[in-house]
Amino acid sequence: MAAGPIGAAGQAPLERVPTGIPGLDTVLRGGLLKAGIYIVRGEPGAGKTILGNQFCFNHAAAGHHAVYVTLMAETHDRMMQHMQTMSFFEPARIPDGLYYVSGFRVLEEDGITGFIDLLWREIRTHNATLLVLDGLIVTAESSGSDRDFRKFIHELQAHMAIEGCTALLLTDGRHDDYHPEYTMVDGLIELYDVLFGTQAERELEVRKLRGTAALRGRHSFRITDEGIVVYPRIEALLARPSADDQWPDERCATGVNQLDAMLNGGIPRATTTLVLGASGSGKTSLGLHFLSQSSAQDPGLFFGFYETPLRLRVKAAGIGIKLDGLIEQGHLEILWHPPTEDILDALGNRLLEAVRRGRVKRLVIDGLLGFQEIAADRPHRIGRFLTALANEFRGLSVTTFYTAETRNLIGGVIEGPTIGLSTIAENLILLRYVEIRSQLRRLISVVKMRDSDFDSSLREFRIMSTGIELAHTFDSAEAILSGFPQLKTEELPADKAARRPRVK
Amino acid sequence: MATVLVVDDEFGIVDVLETILTDEGYRVLTACNGKQGLVRLAEQKPDVVLLDCMMPILGGDGMLHAMAAVPGYQRIPVIMMSSLGEDVIAERCKGYAAFLHKPFRVAAVLSTVARVLGRVANDAA
Repeated sequence: MAAGPIGAAGQAPLERVPTGIPGLDTVLRGGLLKAGIYIVRGEPGAGKTILGNQFCFNHAAAGHHAVYVTLMAETHDRMMQHMQTMSFFEPARIPDGLYYVSGFRVLEEDGITGFIDLLWREIRTHNATLLVLDGLIVTAESSGSDRDFRKFIHELQAHMAIEGCTALLLTDGRHDDYHPEYTMVDGLIELYDVLFGTQAERELEVRKLRGTAALRGRHSFRITDEGIVVYPRIEALLARPSADDQWPDERCATGVNQLDAMLNGGIPRATTTLVLGASGSGKTSLGLHFLSQSSAQDPGLFFGFYETPLRLRVKAAGIGIKLDGLIEQGHLEILWHPPTEDILDALGNRLLEAVRRGRVKRLVIDGLLGFQEIAADRPHRIGRFLTALANEFRGLSVTTFYTAETRNLIGGVIEGPTIGLSTIAENLILLRYVEIRSQLRRLISVVKMRDSDFDSSLREFRIMSTGIELAHTFDSAEAILSGFPQLKTEELPADKAARRPRVK
Repeated sequence: MATVLVVDDEFGIVDVLETILTDEGYRVLTACNGKQGLVRLAEQKPDVVLLDCMMPILGGDGMLHAMAAVPGYQRIPVIMMSSLGEDVIAERCKGYAAFLHKPFRVAAVLSTVARVLGRVANDAA
């Protein structure tokens, strides 16, 4: 069991009992307090029993002992049948590491006094340091009065303290009900099943946690083949970045020499760049160029929503970028997540985990819209979510490229993402189409680069079989920003036919 | 009429076993843990015991162990019941006559009880 942080007054650290449930210990800042009593409340089907069992199996796997006491719950064999499908279920842990008993008959015949005696005996008999009581509501119903029930909780607290055993009390009940026992216990965890439009999402909230500043608010979770996985809300998890901003004052090559020249040597390291452009304008290609510079010192990650890794590799090969070698050498990873029924924080945590695991320094997130689509029912979150990630990546010295699509293919008005760009990106690169004599041309411009000089001129660029090539300054075009340029005859490129852009 | 002692902490399972065994013509005694099971044994000697493994106060292994120490109980056959595998039970419990894996079917319970009782009758003959 882990020791927690030393108290402000320098007291002995509070010993913690990790739940071992992915993400939950992060929310709990290390786990529950040893010998504490915690209530887990949720409606039927919310995941209480799985949470209790998963905690027990993890506790037993760590070499400790747990007792699981049921009251009016499903039979033990039925419960085990359900748990068998999950990877934490190890039958070999039963009965030595984890012991199941039913306390209902004792509660019926001997009342609350007999029942608490049973709990105490089971803890001692099995040398348990974790007790899960599944069906607290039955105990409440069996108590003669609220006073008797509070007395039961009080006695249980005394027993747990003496035995050094942590207790998890699972109960049904409406979330708006008030129960006096909640004031007595060390913590209250609520499980919810929430509908966003037609999409259901499970959420967990630590309503109370003595001695710990848990991550407040609701956090999404899933019940998977591995059991419960909690995804700490990114804004809460990264409210403060895990590392200070280093501002390394170095440049990061984009993989396009002419663009690096416009950027005064490349993108400033540990900054975020938004590459904004219409569909097919070359955003992903630019991102692939950036990642083509990945190396052992500068590992890269492509995190995309739309193109599968196979299609991406084919696309890269089409512009002369060979990703396979980089992937085989472990310098580059491609993660693909279709923006279907996913959880925003699951994605955020997956991205964060991949960045930390791979010590990533070059990151391309292809499709800001992917995050926006997944958070479509909670659009207010997206700005804070992306800001928290951007701050964390800066602290980790990650240079990030986001691509985002403009709504209009051609035209005078550029409609970008409906989020505060300035908090996310220091740099902004705009890719645009212009129509010139029935031909579509691509233009690139650096619109913004915070605290750095840059060449703000417009350049035509082409996507060739050898990669992106920037042409000379597009000063021959007039009113180029309107999207309707008119070429002056004398300034038409002599090699117009040869310079026709490659159609993607 | 043979007497069956059912020892299980899960009241639902005790109720079901009591019903199906009574319907089959057995006399049924019940207990919710090993300690209570030993009390029932002392009160009325059953012909067979259906014994759960994990129970509060005194588990099935403890009750079986206690029965083995009393000469009068040694000839009472015990059918162990558990949702754990028989290999786990066999490691902890010695001297039981048969094993029923939970969840069980009515037919399996009845045939096992009949088989164990028949074996006892044959042994006695």
